[in-house]
Amino acid sequence: MSAADRARDALSRLVDASATERILISTAALVLSILIGAVLVLVAGRMTTCTAGEAVYYLGMGFCYDPVVVFDRLFLGALGDPFSGSWSPNGQFAVTLRETTLLIFTGLSVALAFRAGIFNIGTQGQMVVGALATALGVLWASSLVSGALGTVVLIPFGLLVGAVFGGLYGAVPGLLKAYADANEVITTIMLNFIATGVALYLVSGIFKDPESAANQTVPLPEFAQFPALLFGGRQDFSIVALAFGLLAIAALYYVLEHTAFGYDVRTSGVQPEAAEYGGVDAKRTVVASLTLSGALGGIAGAMYVMMVLGTFQTGIPSYGFDGITVSILAGNNPLGVGIAALLFGVLKSGTTVVQFATDVPPQLVGVLRGLIILFVAMPEFFRLMARGLPGTGSKSKAVATDGGTAGDRGGETDE
Amino acid sequence: MATAVHLDGITKRFPGVVANDDVDLEVERGTVHALLGENGAGKTTLMNVLYGLYEPTSGEVRLGGEPHVFGSPRDAIDAGIGMIHQHFMLVDPMTVTENITLGNEPRKWGGIAIDRTEAREAVVELADRYGFDIDPDARIEDVSVGEQQRVEILKALYRGADTLILDEPTAVLTPQEVDELFDVLDELTDQGKTIIFITHKLGEAMRAADEISVLRDGKKVGTVDADATTQEELAELMVGREVLLDVDHGTAETGAVVAAVSDVVVENDRGVRAVNDVSFEVRGGEVFGIAGVDGNGQSELVEAVTGLRNPDAGEIRFGGEDVTTASRRQRIDAGMAYVPEDRQERGLVMEFDLVENGLLGSQHGDELVSNGRIDWSKTRGHAEAIIDEYDVRPPDADSDAESLSGGNQQKFIVGREFERDPELVVASHPTRGVDVGSIEFIHERLLELRQQGVAILLVSSKLEEVQGLSDRLAVVYEGEFIDVVDPDETTEEELGLLMAGERPGDDDGEGGTKATGSESADETERDKPADPTDAADGERA
Amino acid sequence: MSDTPTDRDDTDTATENADSESFFERYTTRALVAGVTVAAVIALLLAGMLFPDSLAGTLSDALTSRNTLASALRLSVPIAFAALGGIFAEKSGVINIGLEGLLIISAFSAIYVADITGGVWIGFAGGVVASTLLAALFAVVTIGFRADQIIAGLAVWLIALGLAPFASQVIYGSPNTPTVATTNSITVPVLADLPFFGALFSASPSVYMLFAAVFGSWYVFERTAFGRWIRASGENPKALDTAGVSVTRVRYAAVLISGVLAGMGGAALSLDLGQFTGNGPTMVNGKGFIAIVAYLFGNYNPVGAFFSTMLFAGLDAVQTVLQLQGIGIPRQLIRITPFVVVIIVLALVGRTQLPEAAGEHYETED
Repeated sequence: MSAADRARDALSRLVDASATERILISTAALVLSILIGAVLVLVAGRMTTCTAGEAVYYLGMGFCYDPVVVFDRLFLGALGDPFSGSWSPNGQFAVTLRETTLLIFTGLSVALAFRAGIFNIGTQGQMVVGALATALGVLWASSLVSGALGTVVLIPFGLLVGAVFGGLYGAVPGLLKAYADANEVITTIMLNFIATGVALYLVSGIFKDPESAANQTVPLPEFAQFPALLFGGRQDFSIVALAFGLLAIAALYYVLEHTAFGYDVRTSGVQPEAAEYGGVDAKRTVVASLTLSGALGGIAGAMYVMMVLGTFQTGIPSYGFDGITVSILAGNNPLGVGIAALLFGVLKSGTTVVQFATDVPPQLVGVLRGLIILFVAMPEFFRLMARGLPGTGSKSKAVATDGGTAGDRGGETDE
Repeated sequence: MATAVHLDGITKRFPGVVANDDVDLEVERGTVHALLGENGAGKTTLMNVLYGLYEPTSGEVRLGGEPHVFGSPRDAIDAGIGMIHQHFMLVDPMTVTENITLGNEPRKWGGIAIDRTEAREAVVELADRYGFDIDPDARIEDVSVGEQQRVEILKALYRGADTLILDEPTAVLTPQEVDELFDVLDELTDQGKTIIFITHKLGEAMRAADEISVLRDGKKVGTVDADATTQEELAELMVGREVLLDVDHGTAETGAVVAAVSDVVVENDRGVRAVNDVSFEVRGGEVFGIAGVDGNGQSELVEAVTGLRNPDAGEIRFGGEDVTTASRRQRIDAGMAYVPEDRQERGLVMEFDLVENGLLGSQHGDELVSNGRIDWSKTRGHAEAIIDEYDVRPPDADSDAESLSGGNQQKFIVGREFERDPELVVASHPTRGVDVGSIEFIHERLLELRQQGVAILLVSSKLEEVQGLSDRLAVVYEGEFIDVVDPDETTEEELGLLMAGERPGDDDGEGGTKATGSESADETERDKPADPTDAADGERA
Repeated sequence: MSDTPTDRDDTDTATENADSESFFERYTTRALVAGVTVAAVIALLLAGMLFPDSLAGTLSDALTSRNTLASALRLSVPIAFAALGGIFAEKSGVINIGLEGLLIISAFSAIYVADITGGVWIGFAGGVVASTLLAALFAVVTIGFRADQIIAGLAVWLIALGLAPFASQVIYGSPNTPTVATTNSITVPVLADLPFFGALFSASPSVYMLFAAVFGSWYVFERTAFGRWIRASGENPKALDTAGVSVTRVRYAAVLISGVLAGMGGAALSLDLGQFTGNGPTMVNGKGFIAIVAYLFGNYNPVGAFFSTMLFAGLDAVQTVLQLQGIGIPRQLIRITPFVVVIIVLALVGRTQLPEAAGEHYETED
């Protein structure tokens, strides 16, 4: 029906959510969240008590917390105070990179699934499974090899184990979605709880380190962990792991943009009917992308065990959920995930700096995380602000659990 | 008789298109008025204007002589207009009564509770008054489509509608349900209600309506008395006497059988048999056309052939292999090209640019991709070649598919599919929405492919297109092939009759009351007598 | 049906019979699960009566213990309230995955308000108000600004997860608040002395409020026009719109109600203990997500959601009782039972459960 066709054409031309717009919206969401965070800090500063000397004054009112100091510490502190003259890569900066590395993997995990039109909230659980499997697998294998050879063999082995188990755990919701039509949002949330519960059961029982009071597995020997190399060992960061992360970004970018599989994934994500027409096997793509997504989450778990803790301990931090924020902020683009992961690495690492430097509770960063997601999820709000007009009723695609927009599908020209 | 509805010079423009062009319509009270036309002729737009969904660009709506301006359907409902949409506005898990009273529930106890007894009684009373057989307590999801439609009608009546608009009401019904619907319409008009009935099926318009108005390309081309017209006249009005495209048909060497469909049965999404026991073959170097009014099973048949829908019975062979259950990808790999009916949903990924869209369907082939790696520069070259050769505008491979006009989108799809080096091309409405110059070009390319020995299955509701291009032409009606003819030996009038379901050799002159049944066992059987239900219809009409 | 109803009672009964028949036809999987559970419990109780010294005997003791019912009820309160809230939102077409966040924010706010005012019930109201405000934000974002419901719900959870411990830290210097006074339980004379079921009549006020809320929600959905509009708005918003009812308004109302109900659950949770603990996943610890499970399993029926909550909470309670008696079924494994059950149920029934239009933004045609 040509009339409807053309009406639809006209409409879609109006609402082309371009890559530029996505970057603008992400930035605006970030700035707005920080502003609200600043207000929150001020309000909190009114609610607590301090001496007059400690207080700062804005507009004639005294506040116990100074948002300027908070955000200064949060950002500059996380980077190890680059302007202080005594910057060393070994301090807080290494912590930031460590967090960034882990967030790269969980962010990529969520992003890949999103691009296939699947909302994988289960990265957290896949990470837990991968971490536990790695801890146990590497512990077992570390009795077979040792020394430098051990490091060279065990680290890839550990990553592989994490990827395989995370991948298998990711395949579960994939199979349920493809063959039982079960909503992946619900199944992945459930699987998160199941992973945590089973891990807790195993680690407090048969796999518990008898020498430790905590629920953890027997620690891995030093040679079975990521080498510290350029950075000191105290911050539990390895440049090797970050290199893996950057490699993963490049690899996922390549897969999505330059391979037939990536093309299938992206097509299914934005327009399943067209994918079906183009010969894409929808069920297989769902299972494959959730498996790959789970594998990336599993690698994050392996990294966490082999780089940060050196053992599996219950209560894995919420990197998986942060991965959702990272991915959404990055418009589900692998390259964007790199930048968003760095930003969130800064936020997570800066939290501890803020805790040391001020009395402002570190949970502030958790609030910021929620606010950023909220704002990125409502591009319509920023469009209205930009127009300064009430709604025009145009339909927007924007960030959504249907795969989001192909923020960047470039790459053809740089052949 | 008084005029119930009067549309006066209605024009409705959308950006870039005139959907209704100065349409006048008068509907007498207590009659059934059919609005007949091809898909896209502007019937639904016109009725949406009457129902308050669209405001007309110019023109006036008068009800019983009084001018009305409707800002929303609510206003139209208040003025006594009810619309029964093609897709029912019913809440499936709720009961018949709950649906009918939705939004106007009778209350008790100061409004905090629904008076369910009163609601039920009101529905029963309403159903009795119009002789509807309906269970007020049944859930919508448990009742048949025909009953759901009656619920929609009751819903409109419950809200006090005097004029009912039915949008393609028979599209989703079985023949028996169609008969029942027409009984219902008779009952309603007997009680003074006015019915406007949108359809593209000639036979139904003649059977059910008192008067028929025909729309073509947004204009009203005529209003005729249903008793004083013939199917031939209506077909002419609908399709128009467009210039027959002067295609140099030529002759091609007919080769081996490329695709063979035998005894295929396909159900549509609602589980109704849309294709009933169809068999045909397409040979290399041959255009096999399927003509028919839209909605007679063509879409389902094409989807079964191309692998988007599983047939419920029968066999499909392609290139000597049984592909009945083969996947889309296997069929693409085996050399099947497909120009789909819905270009925006299937044929193109709207968010992708043309470079990426040029790859759709070839991403697992070996032309543009090697070892799973896409060669983007080759792919870009491929897209640019299509753009160049098929005159896609703007000629920019980087523009997103959604930024192109419908015609240019279509040209790009046709180009992509024709350049696939196929064994078989399945083309479903390949020139719909395309400008005249491009139509000719697409037709020429199609015939070139035929010349090269490619088998072509062409489906179109444009009579002159299928007639001009096909070597053999099947006419489909209600999921069955009424006949397979030599298009050069058949007149447009004869085809029009076939499209209306009139079987050859069946000439006892009872007009459109023939062949509404779907129980014909063999589509090649030419001398099938009219079945009893048809006879009954004939008497009533 | 052509005959007019001559006897109202008859037709009404007939209707209900038809309802229950189709209920079992429709929900065979659920019926099966329920049937198996009931059968297992009966078998266990019989075995326990016959062999009082066996494991079955201990288990049946635990099951029939009055304490088990009492603690199951207590554990159910926050989950069941949140589940009722989730039903309202989701039936209207807005998937509220942020229930967890609503519980957290109200659990904290209730303690805070109770602490500064000294009134437990004022605290309760404070919790409800905080939760409703957060739900209002969610409503504006999803309905007004067309944000993706899942992402926005996630944001609501994360905001609350950060905000409540943040505020507690600011105000009390710790993510855990000090304790405040709690409410006394209400005891119905005589009935409270019944064995087992006596627990129903000697419980905290929040348990009675839950009973009222379950009945009230059921009443709204089954008997009022508003309840019907909520259902229509989630199943086929266009049908509701063309019937002249504003889908937007109905959805706003439903989401706000979900805020009120979840707020009651969160406030009851913390006021029952007299403290808010905000470490890690906070004291709410996934109850909001279990609530989603509960209403899915209860098929969006308030009563069904209540019973599935009781089933999950009962498992937990039995497990606690058993642990006290030295028979350890690993607590961690009991905890995940509801989640495993959901996955199995989803694998069997697929997606048919969600209201047709849930998760979709609805736009009125103009």
